[in-house]
Amino acid sequence: MPTIVTLFFILVWAIPALAQTRASDKEWNALVEGAKKEGKVVVAGSPDPVMRNQIIPKFKERYGIGIEFLAGRSSEISARVRTERGSGIYSVDVYLAGPDTTATTLYAEKMIDPLKPLLVMSEVADGSKWKLGKIWFADPEESFAVRAFSSVATLMFINTDQVKPEEMRAAKDLLNAKWRGKISTEDPTTTGSGANAAARFYHDQGEEFVRKLYLDQKAVRTRDRRQMADWLARGTHPICLSCREDDVRPLVKEGFKILEIFSLADMPGSINGSPWMLTLANKAPNPKAAQLFANWILSREGLAIYARGYGSVSLRTDIDESNLNPGNVPKKNIKYFDDTDWNWIVTGRHEYRNKVWQVLKTAK
Amino acid sequence: MLLFFAVAMGLPLLFLVTGSFNLSPPGKEAVYGLGNWLNAFRDSDTVDALSMSFILSAVRLVPAMVIAVVFAWLIARTDMPGGNAIEFFCWLAFFIPDFPLTLAWILLLDPNYGFLNMLAGYLPFVDGPLFNPYSFWGIVWVHTSAGGIWFKVILLTPVFRRLGASLEEAARVAGADTLAMLRRVTLPLLAPMILAVAMLSFIRGLQSFNTELLLGTPAGIYVYSTRIYDYIRREPASYGEATALGSIFIVILGVLLFFYWRFLSGKRKFTVVTGQGYSVVRVKLGKWRFIAFAGCLFYLAIMTVLPLVFLIIGSFMRRYGFFSISAPFTLAHWQDLLSDPIFLLALKNSLIIAAITAAGGIFLYSTVAYLLVSRRAAFGPVLEGLCWLPHVLPGILLGLGILWLFLATPLRFFFYGTVWGIAFALMLSDSPVTTQAFRAGFLQLGADLEEAARVTGASWWYTYRRILLPLLAPIAGAVGLMNFGGALTSISTPVLLYSHQSRPLAILLLEYSVTGELERGAALGLLITAIICLMMLAGRKFGLKLSGLQ
Repeated sequence: MPTIVTLFFILVWAIPALAQTRASDKEWNALVEGAKKEGKVVVAGSPDPVMRNQIIPKFKERYGIGIEFLAGRSSEISARVRTERGSGIYSVDVYLAGPDTTATTLYAEKMIDPLKPLLVMSEVADGSKWKLGKIWFADPEESFAVRAFSSVATLMFINTDQVKPEEMRAAKDLLNAKWRGKISTEDPTTTGSGANAAARFYHDQGEEFVRKLYLDQKAVRTRDRRQMADWLARGTHPICLSCREDDVRPLVKEGFKILEIFSLADMPGSINGSPWMLTLANKAPNPKAAQLFANWILSREGLAIYARGYGSVSLRTDIDESNLNPGNVPKKNIKYFDDTDWNWIVTGRHEYRNKVWQVLKTAK
Repeated sequence: MLLFFAVAMGLPLLFLVTGSFNLSPPGKEAVYGLGNWLNAFRDSDTVDALSMSFILSAVRLVPAMVIAVVFAWLIARTDMPGGNAIEFFCWLAFFIPDFPLTLAWILLLDPNYGFLNMLAGYLPFVDGPLFNPYSFWGIVWVHTSAGGIWFKVILLTPVFRRLGASLEEAARVAGADTLAMLRRVTLPLLAPMILAVAMLSFIRGLQSFNTELLLGTPAGIYVYSTRIYDYIRREPASYGEATALGSIFIVILGVLLFFYWRFLSGKRKFTVVTGQGYSVVRVKLGKWRFIAFAGCLFYLAIMTVLPLVFLIIGSFMRRYGFFSISAPFTLAHWQDLLSDPIFLLALKNSLIIAAITAAGGIFLYSTVAYLLVSRRAAFGPVLEGLCWLPHVLPGILLGLGILWLFLATPLRFFFYGTVWGIAFALMLSDSPVTTQAFRAGFLQLGADLEEAARVTGASWWYTYRRILLPLLAPIAGAVGLMNFGGALTSISTPVLLYSHQSRPLAILLLEYSVTGELERGAALGLLITAIICLMMLAGRKFGLKLSGLQ
């Protein structure tokens, strides 16, 4: 009798489950067919070698559908799309944009559609495949903008030939007179990673610290990311506040003694959603192909390519992280400052960035 | 013609200016006011940056003009040996991409690791670094090496070449020495082109950007174009403020044009080619000819060959400028470039765009210049003013204006997202240089040439095609090649207009630049320079043959 009851319950549970899987398969196949009929998907984003060299061929190989990638700086892409839409032209299907563009342009100007109901690929919709138990939608309505990565960001880089790790334990160590003229940063007087880092310093350490760090310490500014990385390697400016990991990593491989610092005693580490947030354009010209691409890029295969290409930590549970820098992988018991937090992007960072600009301006 | 230019150049400007008064955030209903303009101009940094731009542009204009005039004169008007080779190198220098060239200068001059500073350190009387590129004079120096000076030489050489020798011979007979002849006869005759080039260069100098960004920022030197760039880069971008700042260039252009027109007003004072005998005998420099050649060669070697060598080496280095790493050289960047999945399509698109831009520009602007000089155009000053407009709008703003033009008119069906559309936009952006070059050329031609043709029954079109254009072939060759090269490297205009199918090489350059792939960018820059060199060899030969001046 218990066997019959067990069998009955198994059938009661399994039949709908199987039916659901079959329905999903059918739905998925219809989506793939529809996408193939559309024949292409137009993706807009920042210049991206991983997209150009790996994603486009892989997607074509997988589904036979071409990706047309519109690359440009975010201000250029925004201006173009805004003008097109003003004239009734809708040319873009999917955006892979940075958090600022996503929040302050695409979402704020209602250029995107809810993505949540369209993520139907079984391995994407399955919450167990995600570290948070579900897909992370970063927007206030938790429906439009997918955040697929969360990596610990580097707070600064030092050249250990000149700066010993023990000399850089706390934020106040940056104010040591020994480092005057030795610190480089991307220009904090304009939007970008330099201003973002300065906003973070202002938020955590206050106005006086920012004044001392950027003015009294004579932090050298540049607008060229390669220049900072080269200065760091050569030791000209052995402390870099806003170098990018993908610029510095090849130098470390070459044997330059460069150390990433992820947190300081008085400044916790931060996480970010680099390299992009995923959103779906409304009135997309190729809606099926757009949906297919959005699902695929969030699948294990799609995200693994990006995780490898940029050394970013994906939010999926099934992607091998052994090849990543352990420092970039968030630790469970640490509370990080979230640099891609929606409110921080839309209001907080903006406000602190303005405060920084005021400090730097009044000092002239 | 006036209607065409009013639509093609006036409408984008109108869109931009109207947009600059819109105070509401993008996507919201428009509310008009002066807020963007007030924001842009009440910032004290704006005033500082503008004065720095003026000083920098003025300081580098004077020596650059002197050097350019000397080069053009030596190449075109004297018996200096190797003139053609020197001219070839001037062209080559013009098309070396400025960003990696500036980096090459940093490798040479950096106070900490610069090659020349290290060499200078061996001198007994040198204590500490001799050169510093991160300074006012560093910026001036790099500009004197980069495209700016060669741009002038390229435009001036054909008009110097066009100059008949009869007036110079008369001056000689009257007892003038070479310097007096140059000062009293040659330069005044060529004043329209020299002034036009000076104006173009001055405004171009005000808009200069890359070198200042790289060398100026570490030294706290900010220029006006950097301010415009900052507004455009914001999230969301502030195109209103950027347009407001850009309007200053229009005011400056207006003032400069006023004086230019006043100078040119009156009868043709600049005619050097007439139907009454035409001699192209060159000035004999005697023993100075070899010294002049050596001087040109030395200048080119220091200012161009040295950084060019570093640039070429850089494209074969695993990390640009790092000689100390193990196995520093590699072919990988060239292999990666050539195997890039979109390289071949982008190359094909670029060549088509460049060819259309060059040919279309020659045809269109030679006609405009003819109408301006022959005073056949109604509202000539308005037409000329419209032709100058693209020179005063920063590239990205011009691109945005043209995007609006395409999308708001039926042009979109033919032009938007196609190679034709990009070529059309680039052709518009070439109008100031091309029109002025042809204008100066037409001013040199005597009216009797046309009159003689008409008397023998030639139509206007026949005269224009068979007499005037062949005489202007060197100028057409020069500006055609310049526009061809410019079309291959221009980024800011096509970035808003390209589609996947029409993506040009310049967008690849942008991608390499944004993603920090400097070495591959250097390889692509060199490849573009090589293509232009080939075109130059063919085109220059063709131009000279047409004019019968070989």
